[in-house]
Amino acid sequence: MTKFALRALPVALLTLTASLARADQIPNNTVRIGEYWVFYHVSADDISGPYVPPGLNLDVGNVHTPYFAYLRRLSTHFTAELAFGIPPLTKTYGRGPATVGSIPYNGQEISTARWFAPTALIEYVFFDESHRLRPYIGVGVNYTKLYDRDSTAAGNALSGGPTSLSLPVSVGVAGTAGVSYRLPHNWSVMASYSASQVRSRLTADTAGVLRTTEISFGPQTLVIAAGFSF
Amino acid sequence: MYRFRASFGVAIAAAMLAACGSDSPTAAPSTSTARGTLAISPPLRIASADAATFQAQLSASTLGADLLQITGAPTCGIDFYYIRFWTVGAAKEMTESSGALMVPTGAAPACSGPRPIVLYAHGPQFEKAFNIADITDTTNTEGALIAATFAAQGYIVVAPNFAGYDISTLGYFPFLNATQQSGEMIDALAAARTALPTTFAASTTDSGKLFLTGYSGGAFAAMATQRALEAAGKTVTAAAPMSGPYALEALFDAIVTGNVDLGSTLFAPLVTTSYQHAYGNIYSVTTDFYSATYATGIDTLLPTTTTPYTALFQRGLLPETALFDSTTPVVTVPGDPMLSAELTALLAVPSNPANPLTPLFAEGFGTPYLINNSVRVGYTLDAAANPDGTATGSASLAAVAPTYPLRLALYTNDLRNGSWAPNSPTLMCGGENDPTVFFSVDTGTMAAFWSTLPAGLVTVLDVDPAAGPSGPFAAIQAGFQASQAQEFAFLQTAAGGGLSAAAAKQQLVEEYHGTSVPPFCSLAARTFFSQF
Repeated sequence: MTKFALRALPVALLTLTASLARADQIPNNTVRIGEYWVFYHVSADDISGPYVPPGLNLDVGNVHTPYFAYLRRLSTHFTAELAFGIPPLTKTYGRGPATVGSIPYNGQEISTARWFAPTALIEYVFFDESHRLRPYIGVGVNYTKLYDRDSTAAGNALSGGPTSLSLPVSVGVAGTAGVSYRLPHNWSVMASYSASQVRSRLTADTAGVLRTTEISFGPQTLVIAAGFSF
Repeated sequence: MYRFRASFGVAIAAAMLAACGSDSPTAAPSTSTARGTLAISPPLRIASADAATFQAQLSASTLGADLLQITGAPTCGIDFYYIRFWTVGAAKEMTESSGALMVPTGAAPACSGPRPIVLYAHGPQFEKAFNIADITDTTNTEGALIAATFAAQGYIVVAPNFAGYDISTLGYFPFLNATQQSGEMIDALAAARTALPTTFAASTTDSGKLFLTGYSGGAFAAMATQRALEAAGKTVTAAAPMSGPYALEALFDAIVTGNVDLGSTLFAPLVTTSYQHAYGNIYSVTTDFYSATYATGIDTLLPTTTTPYTALFQRGLLPETALFDSTTPVVTVPGDPMLSAELTALLAVPSNPANPLTPLFAEGFGTPYLINNSVRVGYTLDAAANPDGTATGSASLAAVAPTYPLRLALYTNDLRNGSWAPNSPTLMCGGENDPTVFFSVDTGTMAAFWSTLPAGLVTVLDVDPAAGPSGPFAAIQAGFQASQAQEFAFLQTAAGGGLSAAAAKQQLVEEYHGTSVPPFCSLAARTFFSQF
């Protein structure tokens, strides 16, 4: 389904180009497609629970993934944006001692999860529509759901057996700053840098034994995308 | 617009459908609660240490380093598993229990493939949270001992925590209950055998050889298990119970008549509560048995959630040593003033200066005390009417079953009951100066009871013989006695606390049963098992 979506969207955009390029007014709608790079700034409590030695912590590897957004012009200076990406497979790594007993820990990929993290933003856009280059800033709400949560073989070895992971949905504040550059024929390019508040409580269940940590993922995202307005 | 919306919708759908993917599962609980069923499979591996890591971890503490000197350097790594299984209590109450499964690992030939199983029963523990599988707990010295002695040398170790401990919801520990404890040992073994192929070390398999051992109260459980397995026609390759109270009737006859053993104020509630749950007739109300000072709540006091358990003494919930009233009760046997006087004298506070344990025994008397004089009188009258063989020059149980409920319970669970004798090789190890489980009363009585068995079937090892080391275990005896001498000297140094000679001697007595003898007897057990 994901590959189909990726192929289908450019086709749709081309069709829209043909049918709407003649519009002789300020377009109210914009769609964007691009790539975004997520840089995590993880802060977590040490993992706690039965049989857990002190000093075990976590890190999350940076990812990048296709970016999509829909923007609705509200006024000359205000725009609403709904942004999301193809949920990236995010990898969690052990951070702490080299080994736990004889099991390697530090730097081991211990779990993976897919992030579905749409963000709704209200943006203030500087200058007016006559300017090709328009910076903007925005604030909004990020919703993050982690799914397909898998403990890897290394994670299972560290946890002591097959392990299920739970991470409740996180809803937090998001902020962004960016710039768009208008091209001919309603096309544009843009770049932005955003930060979101994503906090959750990771609970690992291994044979009924629960280990937990409060984790703040601190994702910061760089987006580069092309847009089409209609 | 239609196509755009469709594409946009497809993108959303792609994300949402992906959200319907599956998460990795954890181990599933068993749907069966039949006894011996592994409750969660595969079991949790608490820790994994290769041989070098395990050695380094032990060496990091003085106690661990001392232990390594006795057990030798690990040959194998160990995976420590926490097994949960179903069993029953003394009154057939269904309960979940737990324990340890230690699996040797490593490339050495002795560490994988078909390996023998050591089924181990731990000694009495007083804190409910006790978990012998938790090798990460630095107070779990018994777990470390069996890991270093057996698992690190290639034996698969199975050790139940027993009902009443850890996750068990049973409100008591069926202490010295031969039927329950042997049944639970067998349940733990069945669950461990189920678990073994599901572990990370699945290449380590059960060779079919089964060794039984245990320490103190656990030795009783191990011997009871040997009896049960042999009765069921199951294989027992060999057994090595250590410092155990096997001849319960004889032991408690000795205690009630003044030979108050070290730790008795803790053991007494454990065994009384155990038998009250099993037989329901030890008392009608706790004040029948216990002094009013301690009677309230004592039937649920042990194992305790108080940590450390010694806080029970400070909180006034148990006396530290005063098992009995320092006021000697008067025993009256109708029409027999001589016997009355004799029995009354038996219940007096010990004062024989020739017995080096007299000061220890005398500390078992005081005020407030734990057990009422009426219990001692009733018990002693029964012992006089139905004497244990040790009182009449034999090693047999009382010829006629006792009538006093506590003594009848001890008689019922005494491992001489039914005239059972082992048919698999058995080593009984202990130290003859044991102040807690008297060597001569327990090991000595059983040895005499089995004296007519074929030579070599039962071996007795005293690691602390007065005559000095001799025989096939001489090196272990010499090691034990040397360690006692070293400890005695150390305790009198500044680093050891600068104790006087008398105080150092007292500390050796206090450490004898619980600390000093176990590693040497465990080594003897392993040496014994290695012959088969």
